[in-house]
Amino acid sequence: MIRRRFPWFSYLLVVTGAVLMVVPFLDMVMTSFKGPGEYGTLPYRFLPKALDLSNYRAAVGQLDLPVLFRNSVIATAVITGSVLLTSSLAGYALAKLRFPGRDFIFRLVLSTMMFPPFLFLIPHFLILVHWPLAGGNDLFGRGGAGLTVSIAALAMPFLVNSFGIFLMRQFMVSIPDEVLEAARIDGAGEFAVWWRIVLPQTKPVLVTLGLLTFVDAWNEYIWALLVSTANPDVMTLPVGIQLLQDYVDPTRTMPIVMAGLVLSILPVLILFLLLQKYYIRGVMLSGLK
Amino acid sequence: MVNTLAPETTERAHSPRSLAPAVDGPGRPRRRQALVAYFFLAPTLLFFAVFLILPLGFALLLSMSRWAGFDLGDIDPVGLDNFTRLFADGSTFLAPILTNTLLFALGTVALALAGSVLVATCIDKLRFQGLWRTLYFLPIITTVVAVGNVWKYMYEPGGLVNGVLNTLGLGSVAFLQDPDTALPSVVVVQAWASVGSAILVLTAGLKSIPESYYEAAALDGAGPVTVFWRITVPLLRPSLLFVCITQFLTGLQSFALIIVMTKGGPGDATNVAALEMYRQAFSYGDWGTASAAAFVLFVVVLMVTLVQLWFFRRKGEDV
Repeated sequence: MIRRRFPWFSYLLVVTGAVLMVVPFLDMVMTSFKGPGEYGTLPYRFLPKALDLSNYRAAVGQLDLPVLFRNSVIATAVITGSVLLTSSLAGYALAKLRFPGRDFIFRLVLSTMMFPPFLFLIPHFLILVHWPLAGGNDLFGRGGAGLTVSIAALAMPFLVNSFGIFLMRQFMVSIPDEVLEAARIDGAGEFAVWWRIVLPQTKPVLVTLGLLTFVDAWNEYIWALLVSTANPDVMTLPVGIQLLQDYVDPTRTMPIVMAGLVLSILPVLILFLLLQKYYIRGVMLSGLK
Repeated sequence: MVNTLAPETTERAHSPRSLAPAVDGPGRPRRRQALVAYFFLAPTLLFFAVFLILPLGFALLLSMSRWAGFDLGDIDPVGLDNFTRLFADGSTFLAPILTNTLLFALGTVALALAGSVLVATCIDKLRFQGLWRTLYFLPIITTVVAVGNVWKYMYEPGGLVNGVLNTLGLGSVAFLQDPDTALPSVVVVQAWASVGSAILVLTAGLKSIPESYYEAAALDGAGPVTVFWRITVPLLRPSLLFVCITQFLTGLQSFALIIVMTKGGPGDATNVAALEMYRQAFSYGDWGTASAAAFVLFVVVLMVTLVQLWFFRRKGEDV
């Protein structure tokens, strides 16, 4: 093991870097416990004097936390469920069924990944505003606010994910045709083959894709901001916490914001720590995020 | 979420196996299978039509129109006016906005690449590799609101960064309020947040370098620095290039972090193209200018993407 001759230098560098990665999070937690008058005073103190929970109380009191949480959970659940369902259905069709136009549709799926998300921000918003026969709109999308006022708007642009379809297809291609054929001979329809044979075999990929989608949906900020500007009733956690700064007394804002942030990142953090193997594989498969 | 593919998966897409035809079951006519397939694909195709193809056409139409945003019948086509105005004299789009966009992306790439190469090569020699990678990975699973606010607070006069500077006997810096330091300060945060995923990709590259190369170098008496520059870096080149291009693409498109930290200010010091698009549309209701800005940025992103595809396809053929 020649490479391990000077590990002290590596330890020094890696640990220093790791401290730089973790300290902002520790600072967030520490600040969230700082009582009135403790934040913003010089000289800077890293540790709080005592575990003051008033910021958490203030965050919960200022924000309609149950509603924010509910909106975030609904949007995330709908997006994750829909992506898993549509990706595994489309992935199966593209991997294992024979039909005219298959290569074209597969190429279409691949090429959609070349379009960056920011390009769709404006048209998606306008399409939802002018959605026919919704939110007071007439048949031609005139008059009302369209779908932007509904909670559905939070999820709609993310219901299908091309990368998810691609991932499922690549995995399903390697399932032997003989297995599917045996099921078909036993009288199973394509739906049963998909549900009973293919899905159980793709469980690890489904977990990976589900986790990637979950984290992205939970953390989505720009789109949720646009939708909740049109209708505050559908505000999500990240948007609500960012808005907190405008409500609270400026000298007390940061600790309260930090308390809200701690609460908002906990669910994802716990899920990630439990299932990080799957998540990391997903990131490696999808390239860089 | 993702607009680029890891080289390995792209390669898999071109493998002959992916074209293997599904076998038709006895007594099940092909037509029936086609029907089922289209049924399975229906939600996806419907989504593509409404949320992909329609929006692209709509965005292109808007970029060449003037429109107040209310009645679809009032869209007023103006040809390339929006684009010419973006690049007219006195417009802020080319400088500082587009320049900032490039500086932001380049700065992020430089910092994240240097950091991730050093850390990834060092982690490779340590115990508890999974733990270290997890720590570097934390910002990626965190919302941009959390990352932005924590750093915004740390940059404040009473925050951690200035606290450290003061302890070292240095004066406080108004990082985000000073036009000269605002952009670099945001770049540091973006690089900090993206180092973890770069480390993952580089680790995969490092694992593929044969141990025997290092043993041979050690027999020749090469020191760690020589080994790093002569063996690690050259053999890691595909991974390095991949990280470089994908981080650059992400950097070109980023603006959520900037909205959270500086809202583009002070002045236009941290304004970038995607943020300008966002502001023109949703703050000023100028859908035409906003869409034109989006397409200009898209062309830049597309060119970088094509370079990437071209490079990795060629690479695939070499192998």
